[in-house]
Amino acid sequence: MTLDLHNLHPDDPAHIAGCAVCREALAGAMDLDLGRVWAGVAGEVMATPVGRVERFAGWLLHSAGLARAVVATPSLVLSWLLASAAVLAVGVVVTAASGGGTPWVALLAPALAGAGVAYAYGPGVDPAFELAQTMAVPDRLVLLARVLAVFGVNAVFGLAASLVAAPLAGLTLLWLLPMTTVAALGLAAATLARSANVGVAAGLAGWGLIVLANAADTRDLAAAVERGWLAPIYLIGTLVCIGLALHATSGDRSRGLEWR
Amino acid sequence: MAVNVDVQGLTQRFGRTTVLDGLDLRVGTGVFGLLGPNGAGKTTLLRTLATIVAPKAGRLRLLGHDPGRDHERRLLRRRLGYLPQHLGYYPNFTVFEFVEYFALLKEMPNDEVRPAVARAVARVGLEERGRAKLKTLSGGMLRRVGIAQAIVNEPDLLLLDEPTAGLDPEQRVIFRALLREIGVDATVIVSTHLVEDVAAACTEVALLNAGRIAFRGTPEELTTLGEGHAVGDSPLERGYSRALAGARS
Amino acid sequence: MIDEELIAAVGAGDQMALKELFERHAPWIAGRLRRTLPLDAVEDVVQETFIAAWRGAASYAGGGEVGGWLWGIARRQAVTWLRRHGRVAPELWPAETSDPANAAIARADLQQAVATLGLEESELLRLLYVEDRPVAEVARALEIPAGTVKSRAYRLRRTLQEVLGKEEGT
Repeated sequence: MTLDLHNLHPDDPAHIAGCAVCREALAGAMDLDLGRVWAGVAGEVMATPVGRVERFAGWLLHSAGLARAVVATPSLVLSWLLASAAVLAVGVVVTAASGGGTPWVALLAPALAGAGVAYAYGPGVDPAFELAQTMAVPDRLVLLARVLAVFGVNAVFGLAASLVAAPLAGLTLLWLLPMTTVAALGLAAATLARSANVGVAAGLAGWGLIVLANAADTRDLAAAVERGWLAPIYLIGTLVCIGLALHATSGDRSRGLEWR
Repeated sequence: MAVNVDVQGLTQRFGRTTVLDGLDLRVGTGVFGLLGPNGAGKTTLLRTLATIVAPKAGRLRLLGHDPGRDHERRLLRRRLGYLPQHLGYYPNFTVFEFVEYFALLKEMPNDEVRPAVARAVARVGLEERGRAKLKTLSGGMLRRVGIAQAIVNEPDLLLLDEPTAGLDPEQRVIFRALLREIGVDATVIVSTHLVEDVAAACTEVALLNAGRIAFRGTPEELTTLGEGHAVGDSPLERGYSRALAGARS
Repeated sequence: MIDEELIAAVGAGDQMALKELFERHAPWIAGRLRRTLPLDAVEDVVQETFIAAWRGAASYAGGGEVGGWLWGIARRQAVTWLRRHGRVAPELWPAETSDPANAAIARADLQQAVATLGLEESELLRLLYVEDRPVAEVARALEIPAGTVKSRAYRLRRTLQEVLGKEEGT
């Protein structure tokens, strides 16, 4: 019996592979876009597999673009994270050396968060910022996602350092609120001035002043995180700074303005 | 023909400097060359069309959208391609990752992103270097990466600020062919200081001077304008300097 | 470059070698797949085939044609595709074959039926009855035990005989 399974051409790969006429006839007859197929192959071959962190961020943010934006945050690169960890580790060591008198971790964590948030996004910080401003995903959203990510990472670092230092100075999480305030201050200054360095300076200077002002009458550096009545002030400060940052990044303000 | 760029009375001021001065411009499909001396406002015009800077005064409609409204701006940006004059790169990203990043930020459908990136990278001749980190590339290659991100979403409005800077002559020829190809269906606006770019790739050209359009026409018309004029090394250059001299007098 | 060298280059991570391999082999693989698969499936399967070839090239053992190796991958990808899309036709043969009037169209039905056969079955059919290969060789080619080849062939043969027998008997 013969079944005409081979009505197209002798089924010899070697022949067809070497025979341009047959190849064309085959592909043409099927109205198949092999160029498109190759783009599909090349895309998979060239793409870097999406890392776990990025995939998690994508799931959380419902946007692959935002997820990659978060992964590319300057203050979330490995060297920055290592530096932050090192600073907190020094804080733990100094606390131990001073017999647990001053909770250095609590004093350092807000400063680190302020610097990290100021360096999350913006001109001079993100190399492709100019281009990112023309993207469909609003740059304000990118800023928000990055700031939250930086803040979250800093909070986790602070918690870890606090736990390590807990046997020495007792567990305190009172720094979380001033950390929010300092981060918001850094963000507001960075976006208003359109300069990450101004943001860092404002965050560090602001926190330094708060600590020193509270230490002046108590002779205790930790007073800035330990005085309970400061909490509402921190809260109001946070809200004001977030409001300023929102204003600074609103479309109206960039009307006719150049980022530098 | 669709008027993809419709600009009326566009004015841009930074501080006390007026950069664009009541500029009117309507452009359809094709490759539109933007010539002019430094400081004439070419970059500011492109940055305005790229929706980075909102106009101080004037009316702007791009691809039928009003970029002043958030929602329309977002729709417009999905169909926009932009190559800034100075593009920063993420040194540790690969060519593919970088182009993919902007494809994602342009909100392309997820399953279209990777094939589109592969195609864009191939179109600028970087297929072999797709997995190379950006820090290992030469300046000309980086420029081509920048072009790849601009065209990855097959934009209907493509804005290129000095795209040929850093490209060697051979790449420039390939690039001009790419522009002509894209210009068949889309509006391509290219600012350049290379008159040869205009001659080889542009269907139309405008000369910008002191924030206004001093000349607009085909490259041939600009050439004709230069006949008998002394300044310039090529017919088109003579046309350019003649038009500029006319605008300044 | 000959195919074996291309595969080696692909295995070493040279994507331009993969492109060359694609240009040589994608057209005929697509052509062959088209006979049993719908158009959208062909594009998917060819794409998956070369992505799998990229990942598997490093472990390519050699021996035999590169084309055959690629076709082996393509066949597996096709089966996977069909399974994923639930496209394997459960009713391979027309139920109404008792009517003699149907016998005339039986051959045409057979052609159609073959076209809707699962890829594994049509491959089995081709190797055993069109190319007259011995069972052991077919088993190797399809990567299934010889016993399975025999039992599947038995089922296939019976169906075929049923259809063809009716035709010849009238």
